[in-house]
Amino acid sequence: MAKVGYEFAPHSFTIERGKIKEFVQAVGEDNPVYTDPQAAKAAGYRDVIAPPTYLTVMDNWSGPDFESRCRELEIDPLKVLHAEQAYEYRSDIYPGDELTATAKVTEVFEKEGKTGHLLFITTEKSFKRRNETVAICRTTTVVRN
Amino acid sequence: MATERYFEDVRVGDPMPELVKGQVTEVQLVKYAGASGDFNPIHTVHQVAEKAGLGGVIAHGMLIMGFVAQGITRWVPNRCLRTFKVRFAGITRPGEVISVSGRVTGKRHEDGQNLVSCEVTARNQKGETKIAGEFEAALPSRG
Repeated sequence: MAKVGYEFAPHSFTIERGKIKEFVQAVGEDNPVYTDPQAAKAAGYRDVIAPPTYLTVMDNWSGPDFESRCRELEIDPLKVLHAEQAYEYRSDIYPGDELTATAKVTEVFEKEGKTGHLLFITTEKSFKRRNETVAICRTTTVVRN
Repeated sequence: MATERYFEDVRVGDPMPELVKGQVTEVQLVKYAGASGDFNPIHTVHQVAEKAGLGGVIAHGMLIMGFVAQGITRWVPNRCLRTFKVRFAGITRPGEVISVSGRVTGKRHEDGQNLVSCEVTARNQKGETKIAGEFEAALPSRG
């Protein structure tokens, strides 16, 4: 079972403008600051920026995939749902930024829900550009029984 | 695009303009799976979603959080956003139409920043809550 303090292997990722565009198109987000460098500059940025939930792309494309994460946490992938997600933003994130993520399990607790026994696991992940922390992300998943 | 919004011009209780999204489709879930890299099959493969007891594919929670982010950054520029957290209160299925709304709940000065706190909600066309969340934005002052 997942234990508090368990650390995932660090992983790195370079932010790419094409991947940002693919992401905002999937969401149906039409704000040009994410896709058009001229519009982004007009809005006061030096280039297009990554949208607020974009770091999930780095979680999935550069970190261990969903099945591997479930194996590491010893949970059944069919029983997992996303319960909570929280971000702290410390800097804008631009194409070309090389980020490194480190993550660990910070909380594990069990609860009796309306539909039965529930296990909650919270992971905290810190994203750094060189030595600067640009964002912190907390993810709580619930395992249904 | 969000225009500049000043701390002095925002009042507690002010609503954030509502964002009404297009209907969630299965194709959108496939696109979001590819774009985000979240290939948990409960979002794209019916048989697996059935086996998981979900009665069919469900949207990625992070897609709906992306809708909420869209609503927020229409109202305040992305660079002003300091914190953003949500609780996934209900699952979303293809065919549902999600609306994002919000309201200012507090204002304070902290560490030299002018912080505005807001609550945000994503609901479907029946008014069922999918996401309950909050965010804080640091706004410039007319000073």
